[in-house]
Amino acid sequence: MIELTNIVKRYHQQEVLRGVSLRVADGEVCVLLGPSGGGKSTLLRTINGLESFDSGSIRISDIILNAEPGPQRDQALLEIRKRVGMVFQQFNLFPHRSVLENVTEAPIHVLKQPRDAAVQNARRILARVGMGDKENARPGSLSGGQQQRVAIARTLAMNPEAILFDEPTSALDPRTTAEVISVMTDLAASGQRMIVVTHAMSFARTVAHQVHILHAGRIAESGPPEQIFEDPQEPITREFLSEAAKA
Amino acid sequence: MNKKPVQPSVARSPFRFSTQTLLTLAAAWMIASLNVTADDGLDRIQQRDTLVWGADQEGGGPFVYPNPDDPSQLVGFEVELAQLIAEHLGVKAEFSQGQWDKLPDLLDRGDIDLVLNGYEWTSNRAQRYGVSIPYYVFELQLLGRTADDSLTSWDDLLKPVDGRKRKISVLGGSAAQDYVEKFAGDSVEIVLFEGATDAMEATELGLSGIDVNVQDLPVWIFYADGFQQLRTIAPPTGRGFYVAMTRKADHDLLKAVNESLLRALQDGRLRKVFTKYRIWNDTQATRGLETDVDGGFVGGHTESLSNGSGTNDRDEEETASYQPSGGWEVIRQRGGLLVKSAGMTVLLSITSMPIAVFIGLLIALARLYGPWYLGKPAAVYVELVRGTPLVLQLYLIYFLVPKLLDILFPGMGLTINAFAAAVMGLAINYSAYEAEIYRGGIQSIPRGQMEAAISLGMSRGLALRRIIIPQATRLVLPPMTNDFIALFKDTAVCSVITVVELSKQYYIQARSAGAIVELGLLTALLYLAMSYPLSVMTNRLEKNLSQERRG
Repeated sequence: MIELTNIVKRYHQQEVLRGVSLRVADGEVCVLLGPSGGGKSTLLRTINGLESFDSGSIRISDIILNAEPGPQRDQALLEIRKRVGMVFQQFNLFPHRSVLENVTEAPIHVLKQPRDAAVQNARRILARVGMGDKENARPGSLSGGQQQRVAIARTLAMNPEAILFDEPTSALDPRTTAEVISVMTDLAASGQRMIVVTHAMSFARTVAHQVHILHAGRIAESGPPEQIFEDPQEPITREFLSEAAKA
Repeated sequence: MNKKPVQPSVARSPFRFSTQTLLTLAAAWMIASLNVTADDGLDRIQQRDTLVWGADQEGGGPFVYPNPDDPSQLVGFEVELAQLIAEHLGVKAEFSQGQWDKLPDLLDRGDIDLVLNGYEWTSNRAQRYGVSIPYYVFELQLLGRTADDSLTSWDDLLKPVDGRKRKISVLGGSAAQDYVEKFAGDSVEIVLFEGATDAMEATELGLSGIDVNVQDLPVWIFYADGFQQLRTIAPPTGRGFYVAMTRKADHDLLKAVNESLLRALQDGRLRKVFTKYRIWNDTQATRGLETDVDGGFVGGHTESLSNGSGTNDRDEEETASYQPSGGWEVIRQRGGLLVKSAGMTVLLSITSMPIAVFIGLLIALARLYGPWYLGKPAAVYVELVRGTPLVLQLYLIYFLVPKLLDILFPGMGLTINAFAAAVMGLAINYSAYEAEIYRGGIQSIPRGQMEAAISLGMSRGLALRRIIIPQATRLVLPPMTNDFIALFKDTAVCSVITVVELSKQYYIQARSAGAIVELGLLTALLYLAMSYPLSVMTNRLEKNLSQERRG
């Protein structure tokens, strides 16, 4: 279970997160929607410590992450990052390593897996995301969609309890977007817990268990996709959906 | 003979002034704080069975210079004097190369026992060092061009020609410089040279309007054959005394040196040596033999000695003189020595550069990721090292580190040899530049790389080691290879702390053979042969990198 309680974050004088709380149960797919600047990415990045926060707390299974900096927080973050993966909008593959090495890097050097086992596992995962024939390629020679699938494989190799997706298809064209969405859908079907920040409405509608609308640092409305999309209760949700439909 | 023009350096150049002043201040400070070694110089020398004497072979004939027939051997009247003194002490004489103006520092540092290299007596030197009785009485010779008949006396120097002051070339820091400054003051322009032959050559060619040279007479006698376009003007003047120098505390040594010189003077051996080099003359019969309480010479007192006939006898034995050589002959004779010294240049470079890069990386990391108590000192280090000249850093390391070692580990006699000091100096100097290159390289790696790495559970250190630094290293390789080429050439500065590398060997050989062009081309070729492969490598690395980036 992942539980965020009353997360507040300020940038200079401005509050970008104004007390956000949410829960993601095991095996659940949670999608964060909302207009740009609403705080979706920032919220996602507080979960694995890429962003700090000023008050509130985050609980991931037995680990508790508080706002106060210090060795305790650092220790908690190291543990969280081993268990919660992240996929970035810009992929952030390691350009000086091959596809296979990108995937085996953390299992070997962080989890201390034996090399043979890590390689074997990486090949299985690459095949699963449809990149089995590219293990010796350099990231620079791949298309965006291929790079993002390798980035997902890199995260999966850590056998994560949850994966955070930060606008995973925003840098892709529609065709390669479809490739990535199909991999993500496949993951969701296998019971992988995910928190996804995205603008891909169809993914939210068909795959999500819970959808949260984030606006101006607050959750405006939460619910299963059929409620959010078919019967939105809040004016902000309705406005956002009609804007999104126009785009 | 076709000769390359030499660049004169003007006495009032501000750069020269500031570097010299800094060095002098640093030396004065260090020497002031130096506790002089115990009074056991002679015992020490006899125990180790060697008298280590210092001179600069670059000064050339007739003092100390490579034997024209076998350039790996040294000859010169001071070489023979050193043997004479060592014989008297019952030990072997061992030559130690040092830059001429730094020889007293080597004495202070304990690297040598005796300076024997045309150092004239001055009251300053007599206060700081043990000075021997004179082994030679020199005079100064005024030289002009054969074709120039506007000069007939010293007084002519004071008259301007065509409304401009006369330009006079002298060896920097020499007795000739002092004499001309006192004699002519501001009515002439003095141009300083690093080598006596360079000064004569510039005068012969009339470079930068130089029309007069003032030279120690022995130097002129030795080289006269090589400068047919120069003539003597007025009789020699400005008498001075070449003396040997010891540390102030080495009384016994000084006494023994004086005894040996006196004995050689009396039994004619001294005269024989000088005759061989054609520098014996009437003046040698007049010399000061007054000694002070330390057994040293007191300048200004002279008396006539009855030994010696007073005539120039050139008939005894063969004489040694300047034999200019050139063409393939000089390359064949001396090329081997240059190649050998190129080996020293390579060794200095390939030892110091990796250390420089390693220190540079640590400094860059301290500045980028370290806490303030590491980052701030690292920034200061970079500014300090970049903002001071390499020559000063080398000098400080060579003379300061032994001092520090002595304070930290008293009585253990720890020291640092010239090679180690040179490597340390080069490494420290270049580390500041490599640190900045690395810092730029690391900063140009997109932030997402670090985020991706730590999101995979890596510690910051692991992420730096496995992800950031390898990428930054590929970026910084071309500029660093570039710096490596620069370092190759900067090794030339190491001659100030007695390391004989390619450039120094070139100056020594070129000045003694008079083959500036031939040996200069060979030296340039050797440098090129070392740096060109690096240039090619830089280009290739840059090409690979840009291809990789294009994807």
